[in-house]
Formats: sequence, C-alpha cells, structure tokens
Amino acid sequence: MRSIGERSTDPALLVLTSLAEGPKHGYAITIDVEQLSGVRLGPGTLYGALARLEERGLIEALPSDDRRRPYRLTSSGSAALTEHLKTLERVARSGLDRLRVAAVPG
Amino acid sequence: MIRLARLVLGLYPLAFRRRYGQEMRTLLEQSPVRASTLIDLLRGAVVAHLRPTGAAARLVGPADRVRASASGVLGCWVVFAAAGFGFYKTTEDQSFSAAGYAHPLLGDVHGTVQGLAALGSVAVLLGALPLIRTALKAARDEPRLRRWVSVPFVAVLVFAVLTGALVVAAHAGPSHRPATIGGIAFLAWGLAGLVCGAACVVAARKVLFAVRVPRWQLITASAGAALATGAMVAMTLATALYAGALPIDAGHLAGTPNGPFQSLSASASVVVQAIVMAVAATLAATATLRGWRAAAELRAADAPGL
Repeated sequence: MRSIGERSTDPALLVLTSLAEGPKHGYAITIDVEQLSGVRLGPGTLYGALARLEERGLIEALPSDDRRRPYRLTSSGSAALTEHLKTLERVARSGLDRLRVAAVPG
Repeated sequence: MIRLARLVLGLYPLAFRRRYGQEMRTLLEQSPVRASTLIDLLRGAVVAHLRPTGAAARLVGPADRVRASASGVLGCWVVFAAAGFGFYKTTEDQSFSAAGYAHPLLGDVHGTVQGLAALGSVAVLLGALPLIRTALKAARDEPRLRRWVSVPFVAVLVFAVLTGALVVAAHAGPSHRPATIGGIAFLAWGLAGLVCGAACVVAARKVLFAVRVPRWQLITASAGAALATGAMVAMTLATALYAGALPIDAGHLAGTPNGPFQSLSASASVVVQAIVMAVAATLAATATLRGWRAAAELRAADAPGL
C-alpha cells in the first residue's frame, strides 16, 4: 500500500477521511477535519496535502463550483484509505487490549 | 492581515498558484487570517518549492517556467546579498583583516567570498541586462508596463538616498552616540533595503511575465541565474568554513560583540549569516534546476519569441 501518513493527525489522512463522506471543497474540508479531529488545517497545509494526493491519484478535482473546486476520492484513494484505517484499527485494538490486560491486578 | 496572506501566496511556485491559487484565495476570504495562517502559508510555500508536484507543473509552459526560475533566483539573490552584507559588516574591522593575514585560511576564505560576490553580481547583471532592454522597449508603448518598469529604478534611488543619509548621519554629530540609536538606524536601513529589494523583484517578475521576450534572452537569463546560484552555493560553503575557523584561529575576535545592538558575538553573527545564505542558496538551486530543465525544452522548441 502506498503510505498515506504515519500519524493519525497526518493532513493527507485527515483529508482522505473527510472526503470519504463525499466530495468537498477546501473550506468544507477544513471545517470537517476540525470537527473530526480538533486539528485546524491551515491553507498551506491543506493545499499541500491536496496537491500531493491529487498527484498520487488518490483524489480528483471535480468541475469548478463558482471559485471553489470540490474534490472527491478516487477508487484507489478509497482502497488506500480503507487499508490504512484497517491497519490503524488493528493497532488501536491491540493497544487497548494490552492496556486492559496490564490493568488487571495479579 | 488578509492582504499580507495574499502577498505570501505570491511566494508559491507559479505552477502551484495557477492550479490552486484561486481556491486558496477563496479559502482565505472564508476563514479568519491569523499569524499562524501566515506561518502555515510560508511553510507551505517552502515545501511547494522543495517538493513540486508534476501535475501542477504541466500547467505552465517552458518559457514561463524560465521566467519563474529567473525571478525566483533574483529574489534569493536579494536575500543572500543582505546576509552577505552582514558578513562584510561583521568582518570589516582592522582586527579581522589582521587575523586574515595571521591565519591564511581566514584571509583566503574572506577573499574568496568577496571574489564570488563580484562574480555573482556580474552574472545577475549579464542575465538581466537583455531583459531590462526588452522591458524598456516594451514600456515605451504600454503605459501600464511603464509603471512597473519604473518601480526598480525608484526603489534603487530611494535606497541610495537612505544610504547616503545614514552615512552622513553617522559622520555628523556627537562621536559618542548611544549604541541603541545607531542600532535602530542600521536595522531600519536594513529593513528598508529588503523592502526595496522585494519591490525590485516583484516589479521585475510582473514585467517579465507581461512582455514578449526572445528565446535567447530567456536562455541567457537562465545561464546567468545558474552562474549566480553557483556563486551563492560556493559563498555559503566559504562562509560556513569561516564560521568554523574563526573560533579556532581567532578566538579573541569570535567573542567580540556584534550586530545592530551588539547583542550577538561575531561568531554567532557569521553562523546566522551562513544559515540565511544556505536557505537562499538552496531555494535558488532548486529554482535554477527547474529553470535549466525548462531552458532545455526551450532550446528544443521552434518559437522565436515567447
């Protein structure tokens, strides 16, 4: 799998997760990501991530809506996100299980 | 604040701005612009220069990429010149010259920096002169262009007047003026120099994109930019070497107070100057490499004027 990002707050991962809901333009992505993760992506970070994701074919731009251009996940973007989130889920579940076991006295 | 943010947007690579500029401007209008937004934009601009995206680059033709590269290198040269002037001021005292005679490494490196500064200035001039001639010709027929062409001349004149005033003030009045006043005056002069330099770069870029330029002039500009970049890289290495050698060869000078407010040691000043030089030279090198590739495409193209 082509790596999306190493951290759960990686801008690329947050943008892909936001677009998993459906096409969005820059402002809508910023708001959604902030509600989702508490991270406010600055315009430089957001468009840097959009440019890299677009180049890798993980997202695509839709026809311009006024001065704003919506983006949507491509099929390979959807597959890459699914795989990455499953890995994260596995790691999170294992971590939580281990913490639970460690918390049991004796 | 939003005006400042729009100005920072101008620091992004041309291809990036053509592809995402309108959307980014719209986003800036929709959200509050804070200092953190400006820092984020600046960081994004540096990353976009260092890691360009091929998809956006395909939106810009080779002639415009050479234009962007040449004006980018000019901008880096202005920043580099400010750091280079700082190096000259730091090491201008007689005691540094004496250390240069006593320790050949210091003297040779210092001389090399000066020689390369002259070489780089000649390269910038040689690359720019044909373009300036074309711009002046075009400005005769276009009043709008005339305004932009006049900006660098006015900026240089303003800076020359400010420099003259500072020199006169420094040699007049009480000889024991408080260091703070001198520091403030020097800092204001330095900032004015950077503003005038920025005005020259912005105006030169506007004009360069507005006029039809013969292909050979763009290729010459690209060659001048490459030579100037080579000089910047070599000067950066020489300054770094000087920064490393100064505390070893002339420890008594390395610790002397330096800077506008005498707040840094001479050694720390040279390190700061070398860092600024390294950043400017790195950005110039990336712009030059891209310009060189675009110039190769131009050489292969048939169009006589672009």
